[in-house]
Amino acid sequence: MMISQFFVLSQRGDNIVFRDYRAEVPKGSTETFFRKVKFWKEDGNAEAPPIFNVDGVNYFHVKVVGLYFVATTRVNVSPSLVLELLQRIARVIKDYLGVLNEDSFRKNFVLVYELLDEVIDFGYVQTTSTEVLKSYIFNEPIVVAPARLQPIDPAAIFTQGAKRMPGTAVTKSVVANEPGGRRREEIFVDIIEKISVTFSSSGYILTSEIDGTIQMKSYLSGNPEIRLALNEDLNIGRGGRSVYDYRSSSGSGVILDDCNFHESVRLDSFDSDRTLSLVPPDGEFPVMNYRMTQEFKPPFHVNTLIEEAGRLKAEVIIKIRAEFPSDIVANTITVQMPLPNYTSRASFELELGAAGQRTDFKESNKILEWSLKKIVGGGEHTLRAKLTFSQEFHGNITKEAGPVSMTFTIPMYNVSKLQVKYLQIAKKSSSYNPYRWVRYVTQANSYVARI
Amino acid sequence: MSGHDSKYFSTTKKGEIPELKEELNSQYKDKRKDAVKKVIAAMTVGKDVSSLFTDVVNCMQTENLELKKLVYLYLINYAKSQPDLAILAVNTFVKDSQDPNPLIRALAVRTMGCIRVDKITEYLCDPLQKCLKDDDPYVRKTAAICVAKLFDINAELVEDRGFLEALKDLISDNNPMVVANAVAALAEIQENSTSPIFEINSTTLTKLLTALNECTEWGQVFILDALSRYKAADPREAENIVERVTPRLQHANCAVVLSAVKMILQQMELITSTDVIRNLCKKMAPPLVTLLSAEPEIQYVALRNINLIVQKRPTILAHEIKVFFCKYNDPIYVKMEKLEIMIKLASDRNIDQVLLEFKEYATEVDVDFVRKAVRAIGRCAIKLERAAERCISVLLELIKIKVNYVVQEAIIVIKDIFRRYPNTYESIIATLCESLDTLDEPEAKASMIWIIGEYAERIDNADELLESFLESFPEEPAQVQLQLLTATVKLFLKKPTEGPQQMIQVVLNNATMETDNPDLRDRAYIYWRLLSTDPEAAKDVVLAEKPVITDDSNQLDPSLLDELLTNISTLSSVYHKPPEAFVTRLKTTAQKTEDEDFAEGSEAGYSSSNPVDSAASPPATTGNIPQPAGRQPAPTPAAPAPVPDLLGDLMGLDNAAIVPVDEPATPSGPPLPVVVPASTGQGLQISAQLSRRDGQVFYSMLFENNSQAVLDGFMIQFNKNTFGLAAAGPLQIPPLHPGTSARTMLPMVLFQNLSPGPPSSLLQVAVKNNQQPVWYFTDKIILHALFGEDGRMERGTFLETWRSLPDSNEVQREFPGITITSVESTIDLLTAFNMFFIAKRKNGNQDVIYLSAKVPRDVPFLIELTAMVGQPGLKCAVKTPTPEIAPLFFEAIELLFKA
Repeated sequence: MMISQFFVLSQRGDNIVFRDYRAEVPKGSTETFFRKVKFWKEDGNAEAPPIFNVDGVNYFHVKVVGLYFVATTRVNVSPSLVLELLQRIARVIKDYLGVLNEDSFRKNFVLVYELLDEVIDFGYVQTTSTEVLKSYIFNEPIVVAPARLQPIDPAAIFTQGAKRMPGTAVTKSVVANEPGGRRREEIFVDIIEKISVTFSSSGYILTSEIDGTIQMKSYLSGNPEIRLALNEDLNIGRGGRSVYDYRSSSGSGVILDDCNFHESVRLDSFDSDRTLSLVPPDGEFPVMNYRMTQEFKPPFHVNTLIEEAGRLKAEVIIKIRAEFPSDIVANTITVQMPLPNYTSRASFELELGAAGQRTDFKESNKILEWSLKKIVGGGEHTLRAKLTFSQEFHGNITKEAGPVSMTFTIPMYNVSKLQVKYLQIAKKSSSYNPYRWVRYVTQANSYVARI
Repeated sequence: MSGHDSKYFSTTKKGEIPELKEELNSQYKDKRKDAVKKVIAAMTVGKDVSSLFTDVVNCMQTENLELKKLVYLYLINYAKSQPDLAILAVNTFVKDSQDPNPLIRALAVRTMGCIRVDKITEYLCDPLQKCLKDDDPYVRKTAAICVAKLFDINAELVEDRGFLEALKDLISDNNPMVVANAVAALAEIQENSTSPIFEINSTTLTKLLTALNECTEWGQVFILDALSRYKAADPREAENIVERVTPRLQHANCAVVLSAVKMILQQMELITSTDVIRNLCKKMAPPLVTLLSAEPEIQYVALRNINLIVQKRPTILAHEIKVFFCKYNDPIYVKMEKLEIMIKLASDRNIDQVLLEFKEYATEVDVDFVRKAVRAIGRCAIKLERAAERCISVLLELIKIKVNYVVQEAIIVIKDIFRRYPNTYESIIATLCESLDTLDEPEAKASMIWIIGEYAERIDNADELLESFLESFPEEPAQVQLQLLTATVKLFLKKPTEGPQQMIQVVLNNATMETDNPDLRDRAYIYWRLLSTDPEAAKDVVLAEKPVITDDSNQLDPSLLDELLTNISTLSSVYHKPPEAFVTRLKTTAQKTEDEDFAEGSEAGYSSSNPVDSAASPPATTGNIPQPAGRQPAPTPAAPAPVPDLLGDLMGLDNAAIVPVDEPATPSGPPLPVVVPASTGQGLQISAQLSRRDGQVFYSMLFENNSQAVLDGFMIQFNKNTFGLAAAGPLQIPPLHPGTSARTMLPMVLFQNLSPGPPSSLLQVAVKNNQQPVWYFTDKIILHALFGEDGRMERGTFLETWRSLPDSNEVQREFPGITITSVESTIDLLTAFNMFFIAKRKNGNQDVIYLSAKVPRDVPFLIELTAMVGQPGLKCAVKTPTPEIAPLFFEAIELLFKA
């Protein structure tokens, strides 16, 4: 159940952090790993699986913000434990450093090594709780200027554009004091939903799924108890019904297929009134993960039309309609569609007065890309693309093009209707009134319309 | 700028080490702390700061925890290389282990356990004994792990000092963290011990199940995995255990969920009540599906495990096939696994949906994925009789898109469908024939030819079709040739007319005279004799009814499947291989080197030809194949000197030859690898490599002085190593002026300072001079420098030795990057390094060469090389009484062929 080494490599394969816990893996494991990952298949395109074995050494890796977090071992360990651990190490380090990148690592290497020694002893995980670690860690983080950072987690999307959010909060170290020595009392609760929808060529929903997380990040001093109330009509489990029965589940209420909770959550009154109580540990953590296949209204409707226009020409028309209220704005929308591989040229025509839209034909992999800065609820946008082919097509273009896939982010909107009704913080005094931020966001995971 | 750790990385131009030394001895605390940070910074980027050992250790006595931790980090790194100085730290360690602050007590024990130096270990026992009974749980949990550390260094000590009993006591500790670590330590000790140490009885079971509820997530995994070895006494106990474990399925940590699943599956084997089992299956489904919402890396692990679970208990996820539909943005390794599970879950009820998905996947971009999707359609057709027709119509639709690799893949699976449902779907043959000219992959071609032969009587122009392939018969790969041969015979038997008769003559001639493939030749001879003696019998044989094939998607051998299921949530369940196939720790004799990843093709179960058989055959087959039996390798040629050493030769100095510094060093051989670059060596660059001349091992070295000072007083020291290599005499290097260089060949002796432990090619060397700090570097022991001149073996002896060694002594490795340009030059190359030619033979279009060699202390090495001349890829198998050295041998092979 133990690992031999832990290391972090940059995208170029440079050693950023390296710790050997058991001295049983030969030297050069970092190079071996990097070479294997980079050239998994000869063409260098295929993505290496997260676990592989080279010369009796097992390598595990996850990629976090472009960095490789790697563990090695020689024994038959639990792979999910190691992969989960790698994710958690990244999270703990981020809790401490505020931001995760090569620069912040290098500036804080002593702190990182100190953390690693408490997190893992002789290859065994000890703790990955930022809260617990605080009592054993003595180095202070050196915070990297947030101006240079890139968004790295779902919560970071709140910093783009939405003015009501305090932008620096999500990248604030949980342990570092702010200038002036005082920390602002605040707590963030984010309801993040990643949705997957597959539409059939005739526009019906083939599959739909929501992967949701209630994420919390607390900067409250003294660890007060918190109560989080969810919808009262929340149900868990679809009983004996299978995924195919959409009709019968579309009654009232929010029905989760399954959910799980962070270990700090107490569920004493969950069954009776759907409240969760917890003393939030420091650092960012998921309070609850949930999964839903109950029918919901997809935020975008996609309509694609391909018309042949002569032997070597065709026209593609993509229409997207935003099916959410007009006070909601989706941002960073990208629409992609693979075109037949004999497409030699594509010219685009946007609607009149289109602003903040960009089109591109990616010659190398024959992909049409349409990006829109934002779409207001209820809005509809159309793209026309005229294609020129280098050879005659064999009959049916629709078989050689598509599907159309979309990525987007919709702040302050969630499709599941799961809600945090209230967020109660046990009061220390009458004047104690910390900031509470409850934020919703919906993101596309796999949003695909077949043609 | 202040406060940034990165500043510690900035180097001063001159004398970094002396400057640090000064700062480390500063009277100011802060300055000392900064200095230690700089030392650690240097250490992490690979600089050697071991010369500061004493100075750093002096900083150890401090109340400042931050500083203390830094010093400890340094000690863990360098104590091993400075065992004599490490003793300086012992006093402080022992003192710290009694500190009133529990953090310091724990830190002392934790660090001492990481220092594998005998002197430190001696002093560890007493503090460890106290810490195991410490009042503070943090100290106890650290001490628990420390027992495992000590066991790894000195198992006897652990037993003698009664640490095992103390550790077992900790299972009843009131702190769950301590319990978890005690369990982890005991489990590891048990794994590496043959006597029963950690056995779970019903008392420990109860204790651990109670601790489970209070543990951290990681502790829960330790405990669940330890408990999974427990066999319940009866169904009732099994049900009780399951009841206690089921709440873990709700955990957010995927490792906890999978470990709980494993435990439940295991206890389910004992449970007899079908109601209970049905209920458990229902409970396990949602959490298993939820694992697929985690990061793709975790999804991959979950899918590999689910693949096993559905083979054993298909009902668990029978209704959940939709969650295995591929998402557009899934990484390819996730998509491939989902496809596999979709096939396993496909049923008459959901096949329409599944086919719709497969059809969609077959038009995606990734070629491997597309191929697998097409194959999946075929596998469903074979699995589900009632859906076969729908599957075929989807395949035909895909063929019409005319994407080359889709067509070929479709034809391969259609051949299997014909095998499965004979005389049912022949009407589509005409459509298949339209794609005939586009086939260029051997498997697709062979499949098409098989179809034509099998249904020759229903294809009007079968003879024309086959004839078109015959033109290129000699160039076709063996697979296609074999099918062509059989198909032509079938055609002839079914339509014994003039055309086919001529064709069969051509094919049989070609297959018996023009080929050197024994399989093809033998098969052709059998047909020939059959046809010429009794054509009716030939019909009975060749056109006999074939056994019906079944779907292979569930074909993990049941005993293997059961073994893998007990290993759910371990690497074994990801590779789909039993642990002994890849765990090489401590069991070097059973070592198998596997370069390939296990996940791919793991169900195909490719068995490589048994090298023992092939090894036994070479002398026997050499009679058939023109083989220069009289070919004598040149009488023991001296190994080419890698470094020209004129002066040494002239003066008959074999020991240490000195090239005067002002003579231009013009090495004509391959340059020596740089071991200490000038950038690290403060201007001194050292290159070195082991070599062999006239039966003597040398260390060829080149010193280049790019610094501003004259360097003199060079000395060298070798650390303990696998072959006990050490210098036979002093290093003779004249004073080196700036800008000059010197070469030497230092004679070496063997078996002077042997290192214990498994063999390793590591050669740690220290070089010093009067002006600079000691330079440490690591080099590789190149095994071919150690092969003796007496390694030649008689053929009979070779064969006998090979047979007398058990199979476990054989190790193989593939070198996909090595190309053999000719057999002769390969033999010459290897002979030059004392690997002596025994025999060679042909196996198809591959050449197999056998050689023998001997490493010191008379250990024979039997070598088998297999390669296709001119094609990349060399397979190397060795058999030897000490297979642990094989990896070193492979390194040598790689080096020799790369040069």
